[in-house]
Amino acid sequence: MSIRHGILAILAEQPAHGYWLKSHFEEYTAGMWPLNVGQVYSTLARLERDGMVEPVGEDDAGRQAWRITPAGRAALRAWYDTPVATGEARDELAIKVLLAIAGKRADAGRIIDNQRLATMQKLQQFTRVKKDTGADSDLAWVLLLDLLTARLEAEINWLDRCEQRLKGAGR
Amino acid sequence: MNHLPTPADHADGFLRFDAVSRVYGSGPTSVRALGPITLDIHAGELVAIMGPSGSGKTTLLSLAGALDKPTQGRVLLHGSELSALSPDDCSRLRRQTVGFVFQDLNLLPGLTALENVALPLELDGVAQIEAHDQAREALQGVQLLELADRFPENLSGGEQQRVAIARAFVGQRSLLLADEPTGALDSVTGEIIMQLLRDHCGRGKTAVVATHNSAHAAWADRVLFLRDGELINESN
Repeated sequence: MSIRHGILAILAEQPAHGYWLKSHFEEYTAGMWPLNVGQVYSTLARLERDGMVEPVGEDDAGRQAWRITPAGRAALRAWYDTPVATGEARDELAIKVLLAIAGKRADAGRIIDNQRLATMQKLQQFTRVKKDTGADSDLAWVLLLDLLTARLEAEINWLDRCEQRLKGAGR
Repeated sequence: MNHLPTPADHADGFLRFDAVSRVYGSGPTSVRALGPITLDIHAGELVAIMGPSGSGKTTLLSLAGALDKPTQGRVLLHGSELSALSPDDCSRLRRQTVGFVFQDLNLLPGLTALENVALPLELDGVAQIEAHDQAREALQGVQLLELADRFPENLSGGEQQRVAIARAFVGQRSLLLADEPTGALDSVTGEIIMQLLRDHCGRGKTAVVATHNSAHAAWADRVLFLRDGELINESN
């Protein structure tokens, strides 16, 4: 994705200037994608060119504010309505394990063991952060932690499955 | 007579596996279920054990709880060798020091949550009033005191496991051994159970938990990976 839809999503709530868009995008997405203001302004310029936002004058501090247009709202709605393409197979870990299994020179079992250890260490780190995250913590942050730990858990499950299938295949 | 281990006996290396092996049967049909492994678990630690079925997780827990004896090597709790304890001392150890939690069927159906938790104390000769006071304290520790008078069939699976944890740690019991304690629970309830164990270990208790669930294992201080009875990796 580009940050176009992120900016449109925030402008759909209220008109805003560039710095406000940057800081609120980062807050709403738990800081997972830090932006620089220049990137926000260049995106606003492209959105204006495409008829999706328009300037609404300056605020008291002299900063240019923007609002979303009907075309921008339609583009945003289409984005929300379209499922994200997930389940991409191309993944460095998958490629490494599959090549090791296909060849004879690498020890696939050792690669699986090493990766499982590294992934578990990462999962423990995130779980410690989760433990220290109180009930009154920012919901965006809690949900992002849930996503990150779920992905790590899925990776360990896949590595376990690889090990079982290799064993079943007598490798 | 062998004396029962107490916390004062051994400040560190609370639970120690010293070159421990467990082999079932003999001769060509013998099966090595575990080892040899050498392992130190410290007081206050939460340790998770992961590995496929048949990797030795349950054997390790049985040896740690003196339910089984090693074929070779020594298991020491608080510095005392478990296989050297008399049968009476072994029974007393399981009443006073070690608590067990399984995947299910943990609680006696005819007893309330409070009576289930108080049971090991009463079996050990503690007067009922005192046993119930300590059981209430243990139920408070798993945030379940308000359900103390309920029977197991009127508790959810997660609540039953919390009662089982309270019983495992009631009184002076300091070591909890759990075999798939979250196996029958949904993911979120399982995390609540692991968080409770985490909290108890933060207060000085020690727990060793066998699990297939990596997200639940990640609550531990250390995760040990077993395969074919051998310790292959350790994450902390």
